[in-house]
Amino acid sequence: MKWSLTRPDEVIASSANTNRLNDDGAVITNDPIEDHVRRNVCFAKLEDLIAWGRGHSLWPFNFGLSCCYVEMATSFTSRHDIARFGSEVIRATPRQADLMVISGTCFLKMAPVVQRLYEQLLEPRWIISMGSCANSGGMYDIYSVVQGVDKFIPVDVYVPGCPPRPEALMQGLVMLQESIGKERRPLSWTADDQTVVKPAPISQRDLLTEERMKTTELRDPKDV
Amino acid sequence: MQATETLQQTGIISELYERFGEDCFKVQACADGIATLWVDKDKLHYVLRYLKPKFPMLHDLFGIDERVRENRSDQPAADFTVVYHLLSFSRNEDVRIKVALVEPDIQVPTIVDIWPNANWYEREAWDMFGIDFSGHPNLYRILMPPTWEGHPLRKDHPARATEMEPFSLDQDKQDREQEALRFRPEQWGMEQKTDDTEYMFLNLGPNHPSVHGVFRIALQLDGEIVVDAVPDIGYHHRGAEKMGERQTWHSYIPYTDRIDYLGGVMNNLAYVMSVEKLAGIQVPDRAKVIRIMMSELFRISSHLVFYGTFVQDVGQMSPVFYMFADRERLFGIVEAITGGRMHPAWFRIGGVAQDLPIGWEKMVRDFIDAMPARLDHYDKMAMQNKILKNRAVDIGRYTQAEAIDWGITGPGLRATGMDWDLRRDRPYGGYDQFDFEVPVGNNGDSYDRAEVRIEEIRQSLRIIRQCLDNMPEGPYKSDHRLTTPPPKERTMQDIETLIHHFLNVSWGPVIPAGEATQLIEATKGHNSYHLVSDGGTMSYRTRIRTPSFPHLQQIPLISSGLMIADLITIIASIDFVMADVDR
Repeated sequence: MKWSLTRPDEVIASSANTNRLNDDGAVITNDPIEDHVRRNVCFAKLEDLIAWGRGHSLWPFNFGLSCCYVEMATSFTSRHDIARFGSEVIRATPRQADLMVISGTCFLKMAPVVQRLYEQLLEPRWIISMGSCANSGGMYDIYSVVQGVDKFIPVDVYVPGCPPRPEALMQGLVMLQESIGKERRPLSWTADDQTVVKPAPISQRDLLTEERMKTTELRDPKDV
Repeated sequence: MQATETLQQTGIISELYERFGEDCFKVQACADGIATLWVDKDKLHYVLRYLKPKFPMLHDLFGIDERVRENRSDQPAADFTVVYHLLSFSRNEDVRIKVALVEPDIQVPTIVDIWPNANWYEREAWDMFGIDFSGHPNLYRILMPPTWEGHPLRKDHPARATEMEPFSLDQDKQDREQEALRFRPEQWGMEQKTDDTEYMFLNLGPNHPSVHGVFRIALQLDGEIVVDAVPDIGYHHRGAEKMGERQTWHSYIPYTDRIDYLGGVMNNLAYVMSVEKLAGIQVPDRAKVIRIMMSELFRISSHLVFYGTFVQDVGQMSPVFYMFADRERLFGIVEAITGGRMHPAWFRIGGVAQDLPIGWEKMVRDFIDAMPARLDHYDKMAMQNKILKNRAVDIGRYTQAEAIDWGITGPGLRATGMDWDLRRDRPYGGYDQFDFEVPVGNNGDSYDRAEVRIEEIRQSLRIIRQCLDNMPEGPYKSDHRLTTPPPKERTMQDIETLIHHFLNVSWGPVIPAGEATQLIEATKGHNSYHLVSDGGTMSYRTRIRTPSFPHLQQIPLISSGLMIADLITIIASIDFVMADVDR
């Protein structure tokens, strides 16, 4: 924390000249109280503030279906440490959670169970579909597999991969947090009209195609 | 003709001839040289009873739908076949007994009275093929939902979900399915109460943090004591066997990775070696050693996950973070070599996908140099912990005889004192060139199963060091014409090679008709692929024998009389993944 000592007469002198800027472009006030207020008080619309808070206090449900869950579990552990993104309060019951990551293949026999668990999640609730199987059935176009979990529950973020790397899941989580921050929900079940407005989903492919097309040389796999 | 030679050597055929007469049997030559005999269904019981003392383990039992198979002139007429794969440790030999079934009478007597582990295998064959095992105590569906109609592995059953009605789940269906999944004790012959106690029935799973995946087990409880249990599987059935009938021999490899999803390329090994047996491909030395090195790396990776989750399940929270950190280091090597992490799909028919990258030695050496000290540390932290010992010693104990009866293989078998490891006792794919010990336990309890696996990590490190120090030079792929993808170098030089390359890459290789199995010592026990080729670009029948399937079946036996918390220890000590159970 930066601090400074100020003489009373300097405060009076500087209050006349409030336009001095520091290196970051912030106004230098030299008044510790004003400084403190600036750092600690922010003004926002109530609904923005609540949405921001919701996004950063997700409680994920400890739920996994297959291989993807192992990569999800890897993201909990030291190397990746999902706690850095405020999402480490893994709950063992859906009734205490508001985020469910469908990590793995959605099997026909498992679908009614997934549905039941989804219904038990607290509202507002969000779903991340992790991996190709949960996204679309992936490489398992087979009699016992539901071709994408969105056939029966709504999905907020799709994370591609088979299985996706832990980093990919964490990117999905951050995207979900950002999206929740932009959601508009009623402030209570008595006030406001009860519609939920979610921001339009963003396609990463559209967003990154231009950047990706600039790549002309790929790394040679002959080296480690 | 190598096959027939081996057959005569085995001697089991002549023993059977002597006991039952030559007319009872028809011998079939298989590419793997395992004695394969067709038996009449009414003699089946006598033959199997006679064989049991000699071949004490029912290694596998499965069906084949023979109705559209063309190349089977050497076999008796059959619409469906039931195959019994028996294994002998003392003779170090296998025998396959086959029974031909002709419609409409696709019924065969159960062998649950001979081998208890036949129970699930027969239920699976009924579920998948509709083969009726008369006398079976509870012939219900095991992999498919109870509401399912049809038998998926029959040739007239659609394979793709997109060929069938699109999936939907309305409230009615949801209620119906949930109702069908309800556990009914009387269906399993369980009493609701006795004179002095009223039992409680507890449903554990299919989603529970301690059951390691989508596994469900219904418990009959007297207070907190488990009286009986009924495992319910099939929540992870991905139709991998049916998938084999529509993917080319080559493009099936990625599906094998996902069977034991912690075992990575170890799964590829069992599959490609079976294909190589059918095709008669000899793999060059360098490819063999690369394969062994990668397989052993994955054995370590899988055992590390076991180690971490096992100690976590008995109550230690932090060790799992250490083991997963090691696993990440290991994945750094896997990624540098194969480009993938969990599912590299990196082995190929006739070799591996590419040569080792420049600089691999240092990565591998750094890893194997660092590991032993870490394992010592973990041993102090976890295995020597008094609470862990109290929770694991003498819990989930079974004897060697029980293990063999129930088809237990791998560390679970060795923990009972059985000195058996396929890598040493039936060396495959070049393991005969390596020097390593087979760790053996003596109690057959949860603690021993963990100890055996941890010692196996050290032995795997030893094998990897030998790979590192003695990596042979030479090609990483065989020059056999069925190697896939074939060598590209000469394709632009002559038209023949170009045609071969084009066909093998686009349609995939045509593997000669026949049958072959390759058993390997996978991370969790014996894994094998029984492949039936009808002389096409795809397999006619792919049977995957996984170790975890029989391991789960045994849970009720070893958990009865213990507390629920002990059951969690047992489940953790078995080390299964559900994809390895349900496929």
